[in-house]
Amino acid sequence: MLNVSGLCSGYGNVQIIWDASFSVNDGEVVAILGSNGAGKTTLVRTITGMIRPWKGSVVFDGDELAGKSSRAILDHKIVQVPEGRQLFTEMSVYENLEMGAYSKETKAKLAESLEFVYKWFPKLKERRGQAAGTLSGGEQQMVAVGRALIGLPKLLILDEPSLGLAPNIVDDILSVAHSMAKEQGISVILVEQDITKALRMADRGYVVENGKITLEGTSEELEKNEHVKKAYLGI
Amino acid sequence: MEIFLQACVNGLLIGGFYSLMGMGQNIIFGVMKIINFCHGEMLMIGMYLTFVFNSYFGLDPYLSIPLVVVIMFALGALIQHTLITPSLGTKSFTNLLFLTVGLGMLFQNLALVIFSPNYRTITTSYSSKTLSFGPVTMSLPKMISFIGLIIVTVALFWFLKYTPTGKKIRAVSQNPIGAEVVGINTKRIYIITYGLGCALAGIAGALLTLFYMVYPMVGASFSFKALIVVVVGGFGSIQGAFFAGIFLGLLETLSSLIVGPTYRDLTVFVTFIVILVVRQVIKLRRR
Ligand SMILES: Nc1ncnc2c1ncn2[C@@H]1O[C@H](COP(=O)(O)OP(=O)(O)O)[C@@H](O)[C@H]1O
Ligand SMILES: [Mg+2]
Repeated sequence: MLNVSGLCSGYGNVQIIWDASFSVNDGEVVAILGSNGAGKTTLVRTITGMIRPWKGSVVFDGDELAGKSSRAILDHKIVQVPEGRQLFTEMSVYENLEMGAYSKETKAKLAESLEFVYKWFPKLKERRGQAAGTLSGGEQQMVAVGRALIGLPKLLILDEPSLGLAPNIVDDILSVAHSMAKEQGISVILVEQDITKALRMADRGYVVENGKITLEGTSEELEKNEHVKKAYLGI
Repeated sequence: MEIFLQACVNGLLIGGFYSLMGMGQNIIFGVMKIINFCHGEMLMIGMYLTFVFNSYFGLDPYLSIPLVVVIMFALGALIQHTLITPSLGTKSFTNLLFLTVGLGMLFQNLALVIFSPNYRTITTSYSSKTLSFGPVTMSLPKMISFIGLIIVTVALFWFLKYTPTGKKIRAVSQNPIGAEVVGINTKRIYIITYGLGCALAGIAGALLTLFYMVYPMVGASFSFKALIVVVVGGFGSIQGAFFAGIFLGLLETLSSLIVGPTYRDLTVFVTFIVILVVRQVIKLRRR
């Protein structure tokens, strides 16, 4: 469903992403792995239209998205949980979730979607009146995921959801992402530095190094790969 | 005691104007992180519009408010779209500083050319009517303006809290990246925000016209007061600006009464400097 090929982008005249090609199938969880500064977030921003691609194509369900605005790409139901969560800290949990309804359709289905989100994250229902900035890191990440789900994604992109969170909370959030793919048929791109955790959840993965995709394979293949073992797993 | 009560009422009234100016300034600051140095000139334009509608078309100053709102909103939206948004792209603070300061000078001089430096006033059939509440006397125009300020302030809070556009304004000011992630059209929010800020200053101008002289430089002191309100109330904080404005108004009239008009501004500034210092000390202690 998502087919990225030959994608190049960067900031100003500094190129960060070099000729990236990868694909995501329906209901699949694909991990994008790489160490800090490898260009994962830049890749996410390019796909979601927050920065313009310099070259290459992003085809989603047959539509070319390269060069479209972030809003237009959102309308194709590619929704991201951005790095650092990017919540509206002084708004309540409820208001944050509500802001995720960006279109007529998502607004019309808001009540239903809220129930859905509260079912997966019951904590958020308890805390719905509380300002998002006063929640714990894990709860904030749940709000960020919930806000994206309110947007009824076909493709959900999570950019380092585990950053700075306790291991058991990371497991919770990743397993929700996994269920979204396997039970709801939402495709998921999981961007992570924590390769072990990510590969446990993902069907396939790509490794990004210095803005280039250097390796790809199923989770098992990547786990067994000598380079991955040495460079990322410390074995 | 009576004089004291009277001063409090007057202080609340002038403070309401400072609040309205400061809140407009802070909505703009929150969303775009710029200080609108021509905010006082927007009030001045609002006053002249009210003056013109009254002296040439016989329109009641309070009934002209809807017209003033529409014109000021359109003017603000135009300025935002053609001048400020493109300058925001340059990420240069000095560009924006010169832009809004320059606009302020432009409007002052335009007013000077069109209306001459003369002081203008308007009078209506009810200008000199007064109302008494126990020991406190208030002119009818001041009373109407006071109620007007309350209505506008409540409406503004309601707008920001409950309407979709108000929520988007808060979203952009709290997290512009998050706002883009949820598909908010930031440029549209900039236009609405600046238009709204200008409309609020215009309303303040219209509400002021019956008991305050209109002249080309009338905005300058309000620009300055709005800036104080923003600094003391906290950059970008709407509630902060509301309370700081009321406080500034009360402080001005009460210090005028207690230490006399000569030392009024001195008292006001010393108080605010003390507040800022104390607040900073508390902040540092908490770390
Ligand atoms: N807004 C920006 N402007 C300029 N350079 C940036 C910006 N954001 C990230 N970079 C640079 O791009 C490179 C990749 O960063 P990023 O995509 O954030 O990596 P990752 O998400 O894999 O940690 C880094 O060298 C970083 O310094
Ligand atoms: Mg990153």
